Amino acid sequence: MGKLIRNTVMVSVAAMLSTGINSATFADDLTLAISMRSLSNPYHATFARGGEEFAKSVGLPFEVLVTEGNSEKGLADIRALISRTNGNVCINVDPNDSPDAATIVDEAKAAGAYVVTQWNKPDDLHPWDHDPNYVAHMSFSGVGTSKEITNALIDAMGGEGGIVAIGGILSNVPAIERKLGMEMAVADTGGKVEILDFQPADWNETKAFEIMQAWLTRYGDDIKGVWAANDSMGIGALEALRQEGKAGSVPVVGIDGTEAALSAVEAGEMAGTVAWDPTWTGGMGLSLCHAAATGAIDIAAEPHAHREFYGTGIVVTPANIAEFRSRDASFDYNDYWAKSTGQIQYQ
Amino acid sequence: MTAVNPVLELRNVTKEFPGVRALDCVNIHVGRNEVVGLIGENGAGKSTLVKTLAGIHRIDEGELIFEGEPKSFRSPRDAFNHGLAMVFQEQSIIQTLTVAENIFLGREREFLRFGVIDKRAMNAAAKVELAKVHLDCDPAQKCARLDFAARQMVEIAKALSLDGRLDGDVVILLDEPTSVLERREIDLLFGIIRELKAKASIIFISHRLDEVLEVSDRVYVLRDGAVVHETTSSDASITGLHEHMVGRQLDHQYYRENKQRAAFGNPVLSVRDLSIDDEFSNLSFELAEGEILGLAGVVGSGREAFARCLGGLLPPSGGEVLIDGKPVRLNRPHQAVNSGFGFVPSERKSEGIVTGLSVAENMTLAAGERFSRLGFIRFEKERTECQSWIDRLQIRTPSSKTPMQSLSGGNQQKVVLSKWQIFGSKVAVLDHPTRGIDVGAKEDVYELIREMADQGVAIVLLGDTLEEVIGLSNRILVLRDGEVSASFDAPVGGKPDQLDLISKMV
Amino acid sequence: MASINLRALAPIGVFFLLCFVIAVFSPNFLSVSNAIRILNASAIPVVLVMGATFVILMGSIDLSVEGIVALCAVVTASLVLNDTTGANLGLWAVPFAVLAGGLIGAVNGATHVYLKVPSFMVTLGIGFVCLGIATAALGGFPVRISDRGFRALTLGRSLGLPNGIWVAAASVFVALIIQERTRLGRYVYAIGTDEITARQSGVPVERTRVLVFVLAGLFSGLAGAMAAAQLGQGHALIASGRLFTTITAVVVGGTALSGGVGSVLNSVVGVLIVVVLTNGMVLMGVPPFVQQGVQGFLIIVAVSLALDRRQLEVVK
Repeated sequence: MGKLIRNTVMVSVAAMLSTGINSATFADDLTLAISMRSLSNPYHATFARGGEEFAKSVGLPFEVLVTEGNSEKGLADIRALISRTNGNVCINVDPNDSPDAATIVDEAKAAGAYVVTQWNKPDDLHPWDHDPNYVAHMSFSGVGTSKEITNALIDAMGGEGGIVAIGGILSNVPAIERKLGMEMAVADTGGKVEILDFQPADWNETKAFEIMQAWLTRYGDDIKGVWAANDSMGIGALEALRQEGKAGSVPVVGIDGTEAALSAVEAGEMAGTVAWDPTWTGGMGLSLCHAAATGAIDIAAEPHAHREFYGTGIVVTPANIAEFRSRDASFDYNDYWAKSTGQIQYQ
Repeated sequence: MTAVNPVLELRNVTKEFPGVRALDCVNIHVGRNEVVGLIGENGAGKSTLVKTLAGIHRIDEGELIFEGEPKSFRSPRDAFNHGLAMVFQEQSIIQTLTVAENIFLGREREFLRFGVIDKRAMNAAAKVELAKVHLDCDPAQKCARLDFAARQMVEIAKALSLDGRLDGDVVILLDEPTSVLERREIDLLFGIIRELKAKASIIFISHRLDEVLEVSDRVYVLRDGAVVHETTSSDASITGLHEHMVGRQLDHQYYRENKQRAAFGNPVLSVRDLSIDDEFSNLSFELAEGEILGLAGVVGSGREAFARCLGGLLPPSGGEVLIDGKPVRLNRPHQAVNSGFGFVPSERKSEGIVTGLSVAENMTLAAGERFSRLGFIRFEKERTECQSWIDRLQIRTPSSKTPMQSLSGGNQQKVVLSKWQIFGSKVAVLDHPTRGIDVGAKEDVYELIREMADQGVAIVLLGDTLEEVIGLSNRILVLRDGEVSASFDAPVGGKPDQLDLISKMV
Repeated sequence: MASINLRALAPIGVFFLLCFVIAVFSPNFLSVSNAIRILNASAIPVVLVMGATFVILMGSIDLSVEGIVALCAVVTASLVLNDTTGANLGLWAVPFAVLAGGLIGAVNGATHVYLKVPSFMVTLGIGFVCLGIATAALGGFPVRISDRGFRALTLGRSLGLPNGIWVAAASVFVALIIQERTRLGRYVYAIGTDEITARQSGVPVERTRVLVFVLAGLFSGLAGAMAAAQLGQGHALIASGRLFTTITAVVVGGTALSGGVGSVLNSVVGVLIVVVLTNGMVLMGVPPFVQQGVQGFLIIVAVSLALDRRQLEVVK
């Protein structure tokens, strides 16, 4: 406890120091910021890049806060940022944990800062209850996209056979949703596709590698397809198959659209992945937040479907990879909801 | 002399360690309200006996009877809870706890109030216990702030705190409690023992015969793990007990005096005005090849610090040390070793040997350079050379690959000594080389020391007893309060008397 | 030497018992192809424990394993044909990775010894620094390897076995030679058992400590190159989970965390136990949500069996 207080004090001191430095350069500027778990995974790195590109387009100062998977650190950093900018800040945040979102919104509201959240928030926390500071919440339909990618896998298998499934950390919301979507898609085949086994590999490549090895012993050629809850684990499984000379002969699907997975799709070794387009979530989240803060739109007057909405997850398969690669990835920062696929539904 | 209703009795107790029979059919009984003295030389089995009573060692044969029933204590704590309290030679005070917390360690229940310890009550109770040993200190202060003697008194107070808290009999065992106490404190302790006698039984262990006779009703003499003599104090004399302890008339042959050198080789070691702050100052002497220099002095005279200084363990603060006329640095052990010093520490178990390694590995630990080529060990050379030393020193071990811990203390010490001979040390610094080893093994060590001297090794010796120092040395320096108070030549036939030395020591 | 005694057999007993139980539930376990898979999955952990064992034997600990492996995997991936840099060193990247690992190990050792910081803190910190460098250098993206020849380091086969197994076997051989036949190995035992005596006997304690950390770094560097080859990429998270496996394997193998007791061969058995445990869980179809619990429980059982409860010292 004492340590916590000391940390907070130190952060505040640091914040005071940097206020002195920053205020000289851009005292009246609105600051744009992104907060997220880590810079060491491609999804978040791209997310931050998207935010940076938007900040450049409007010529405002931009900062990246990293929680390192630590809610306390995440909150302390955001608190420091808000007090340093006197609330003159827009934050696009992927909260480390769902409950963090409520605290962040409270802090922002008290200081007059503007917030957009991604992925994680409590189900009963809604932007329209905190006008105008809580601008919006953006997410992706874990169940829906998982169902789509599973169907892509089943197609690649020729519509029948056994699959093995690798899940994320059992208690993570996306892991639960993705598993559910996969199970629904399998159930829709009416028994033609069977889940041989499900094992969690905690989003970890190496773990997925080892589990895949054991499955090869247990099920051998009965494995007609491999489903992974993210691309890292999909690649881990793919490499285990490669070790046995089976890369490409057993279809593998993942989710996230990492470059490694996209290349594997191109090479015909993976049957598909889902591209989230984190450049869009990073850039558009900030753009929306910025629009609300500057009064370009009256966010409180917008319908609920514009406050809590799903983005577009693109299912990329060997059939459309070329098209996906050559698509126009740019988007109009002022066309806020062009890529929305509907209001978020709670189960 | 069987006391009526002994409180504590050992019947035919035997305890063996690999290679040593540490206790051999020991029969001892302690009557109610009796003070029993237990004496014996170092290595006679006193410590083993204590540890057997305390449940640290399991009894191999025989039984322990307490209050008329066979018992076997699982630990010192268990023994304590049954009414057998011990004050050990090595202190069992936890320095980071307060005096009161130490006294009542494990018995905090008595002071619990609503589940938390009532410190005020505990400190008050501790004050009462401290008064029994006439120690005037704050029970709430940490033990680390007390000096050694005061900690010893706390330990005794802890043992005495049993008195009045148990229904049954209380036996208090004091293992060498006086070795670090001043005369005034010793008198105090003896007064306490006499007071306590009315309520408890006491076992008093010491190697100081006069003290034992002064305080005990009855005395047992232990030698080589067996009880060799039992007498009431009133019937005993110091010389008689001494002969029983040593098991022979004082014999010059014991220290191999016939092998003592009279002429020495070239001067090898010069110590000039060597000082360590607060330990000793301006120590100077010369030592020649093959010469044995004995150092005598009480605890705190500075002789232990001096020995550790030569071993590179305590950097000197002034003066210089020369080997073959060249100044050497002694800030680190490896500097001392490479300069030619071989240090045999008194704490053999913790400093002298590496228990996990084999005999051969211990022997060549210092001389690694010579037994390896490009970092790879030359096993054949190592094996043959170590085997030749094992044969020469008659080290009792199944092979050179035997783990060090399965050797007896005496054989371990021979390995330590051979380590420096293998390395080729010019000066051997022997800090209590015969501490805690068998009588037979002691003679082997003496033989070895003579042999080292014969080969031209200069030796600085801190003996376990004055007798040993006198018997082995060519020359003796007496230290008092960190300074040389006298120097004696000790040629064969012209050895100084113990009393001469003692008068210069205190 | 201290390693060849009955105590070393306890982990082997645990290993065979484990194999027996799994084989009863899942006969496939005993197939040749599964044996190869287990050995293959063991290859990287085995290389890692070779270094970790020496460090632990010395009574220290090395927590920088994941950091060094990740950084060296990134170094390797950047030096072979890849999608990010223009390099194309092929297998020559491996010595660079190993050297980089050794260099980081030297920093570990020197900081630990000369600044007298406990190895626990030093290696924890250096590990984070390495991860930080790997993250910063790549901005969170992986370096993907396109060099088939390099990937043969683990993917290719010689004499019917994947090359990774041969690399691991060679590492064990080297480590065993160091442990049994060199002064360094002997000094490690001496320091781990009794640093005071070793120091008094003139053993260069500081130099030995630094050297052992360098050794651990070299092995971690090699493991990094292998990880890069196995997964076809290098990135900051490539080693996550390796530290736990490494320390667990060393301890399960019967090497005491307090130092002085154990051997690299023990640790090889330890790795096999841990890997077989993971493999067996999947083969036996243990429900995922109890797996972690069962694994933790079995690890404690394995360690308690491997522990030597005899009193180590004869006290007289």
